[in-house]
Amino acid sequence: MSKEMMRRIMRSGWTNFKRNSYVSFGTTGVMALVLFVFLGLMTLNVVANSITQSIEDKVDVSVYFKTTTAEEDILKIQKDIEALPAVSYVEYISREQAFEDFKARHAGNALIQESLAELDDNPLQASVNIKAKDSSEYAGIANYLEGTRFRALIEKINFYENEQVIARVQNISKGLRSWGMATTLLLSIIAVLVTFNTVRLTIYTQHQEIEIMRLVGGSNWHIRAPFLVEGVLYGLFASLLALAVFYPALSFISADVADKIPGAELSKYFIIHAPQTVLTVLAIGVILGVVSSTIAIRRFLRI
Amino acid sequence: MIEFKNVSSVYGDGFIALSAIDLTIEDGDFVSIVGPAGAGKSTLLRLLIKELEPSDGEVLVDGVSLANVHRADIPLLRRKIGTVFQDFKLLASKNAYENVAFALEMTGASDDQIAEDVPKVLAIVGLADKMTNFPHQMSGGEKQRLAIARALIHRPRIMLADEPTGNLDLVNSHDVLQLLKKIHSLGTTVIMVTHNRDLVNSLEKRVITMEKGKIVRDQKSGGKYVI
Repeated sequence: MSKEMMRRIMRSGWTNFKRNSYVSFGTTGVMALVLFVFLGLMTLNVVANSITQSIEDKVDVSVYFKTTTAEEDILKIQKDIEALPAVSYVEYISREQAFEDFKARHAGNALIQESLAELDDNPLQASVNIKAKDSSEYAGIANYLEGTRFRALIEKINFYENEQVIARVQNISKGLRSWGMATTLLLSIIAVLVTFNTVRLTIYTQHQEIEIMRLVGGSNWHIRAPFLVEGVLYGLFASLLALAVFYPALSFISADVADKIPGAELSKYFIIHAPQTVLTVLAIGVILGVVSSTIAIRRFLRI
Repeated sequence: MIEFKNVSSVYGDGFIALSAIDLTIEDGDFVSIVGPAGAGKSTLLRLLIKELEPSDGEVLVDGVSLANVHRADIPLLRRKIGTVFQDFKLLASKNAYENVAFALEMTGASDDQIAEDVPKVLAIVGLADKMTNFPHQMSGGEKQRLAIARALIHRPRIMLADEPTGNLDLVNSHDVLQLLKKIHSLGTTVIMVTHNRDLVNSLEKRVITMEKGKIVRDQKSGGKYVI
C-alpha cells in the first residue's frame, strides 16, 4: 500500500470521526465507561492482593532452641534453612536479644521488671523466625526441620500451633483471588459486548454509505480501512478519557482506602505502575475498537 | 459492446424479472429503456454492474462474460461503468468535492490528479461553486448532477442511468438530459432507464420497450415512447 493511500485512509477515518461528532462522542463515552470498569477491576484486584498479602505477611513459623544450644549450631541451622528454595527470609533472635525484647515489651510493668532483675540466668530461648515465599510452604518447612540432623537441639516448632490459622489464611486468599478473577472475567465479557454493540450500531448508521461505496467501485479494503481507523480513534480517546477520570478519582479515594485496609496504597501503586496501566488500557481500548469495527463492517461488505 | 444472451433473472421470491432476453448494444449507442414498473428495466442495469447475477444466460461486456469476473474484480468493472441512480446514492457524510474524489481515490489516482480532475468535472455539471456543499445542502437537480459528475470522473466508456430524472422537475430533468447527451457526444455508450415520455421523444434515438421481463419493441433509431 502506498504512503498516499495510508494518508488518505487516515484522513478519511479522522474526518468521519469529526463529522459524526455526536455518534463518535457517544461511542467514545460508552467505551470510556467500559475501560473505566476495567480500571476499577484492576483496582479491586490490587486491593484484594494487598489484603491477602497483609494477612499472609502475618504468618510465620518460629523454631525455639533448647537453652543449652550453642550459638554456632543455631547459625548453622539458619544457613541450612536459608538454603531452602521455599524460604523467603530467616531471622535469628539470640537469647540475649529475646531477653532485651521481653524487657522492652514490658517496660511499663514494674512487677515483671523486678522479677527479671532477680533472675540469675536468662530463661528465654533463642529462636529462628522463618518466612516462606508462599504460605502453603510452611508444612514442607516444618517437615524439613523434623528430619534435620539438628532435630535434637530444637525445643519446639510453633507451626503445629499455627497450622490451622495458616490453612484458614490460605483459604481466604484463594477465595479472594478466584472470586476476583471470576468477577473480572464476567464484567469483562459484559464490557466487551457493550462496546461491540455500540460500535456496531455506529457503523449500522452508515451502512447505506458502505453500500454506495460498493456500487461506485470501492474495493473492500478501501471501504473498510477508514472504519478501522475510526475504531482505533474510539479506543484511543476512550482510553485517555477513562485514564483522565481514573487517576484523579484514585487519589481521591486512596487515603480512605489506606485507612481501612492497611498496606493498600492505591495511588502509589498505580503511579509506580503507570506505564503498564496506561499501555494496558490503551491496548484494550484500541483492540476493542478495531475488533468491533472489523466484525461490524463485515456484514455490510457483501454487496 | 454489451451483449445479453438468453438472460433470465428470477428473484428469490419467484418473481420473474427477466425472461430469456437477447440484446446487443453497440459502442457509442444512446439507448432508452422504457416500460411499466416491474418490467425488468432496472434489473438489466443491475446485471451490468454485477449487483445481481443472472439466473440463466450470459452477460458480456466487450466480449468478457461477467460470470468470469471474480468477486475481487467487481470494483474494477464498476469503475469502467459509470452509474447514475434515481435516488442519487451520494455519500451523505462527504461534501460534493469528496463524493467525486472518493470515486477517483479508489483507482489509486494521485492527489495532484484528483485536485486537477475533480473541479473540472464539477464545472462540467455546473457545480463549480458548490464544491464544499454536502448533499443535504443541495437541491435534487444538483444532487443528480453531482452523481453524474461522480460517474464521469473515471471517463467511463459506458454510462448507466436508472431513472435519472425520476425525482426531478422539468427544468432539472432537461439539464440532466443535456448532460447525458454531452457525455454521449464524447463517445460514451449511454443506457438510460426512464418513465419520462417527453425526454425519450425529444431524443429520437434507440428505444427499447419492455413488458413483464420481455423486450416487446426495439426501435433502432428515431424511437418514441409508445405504450
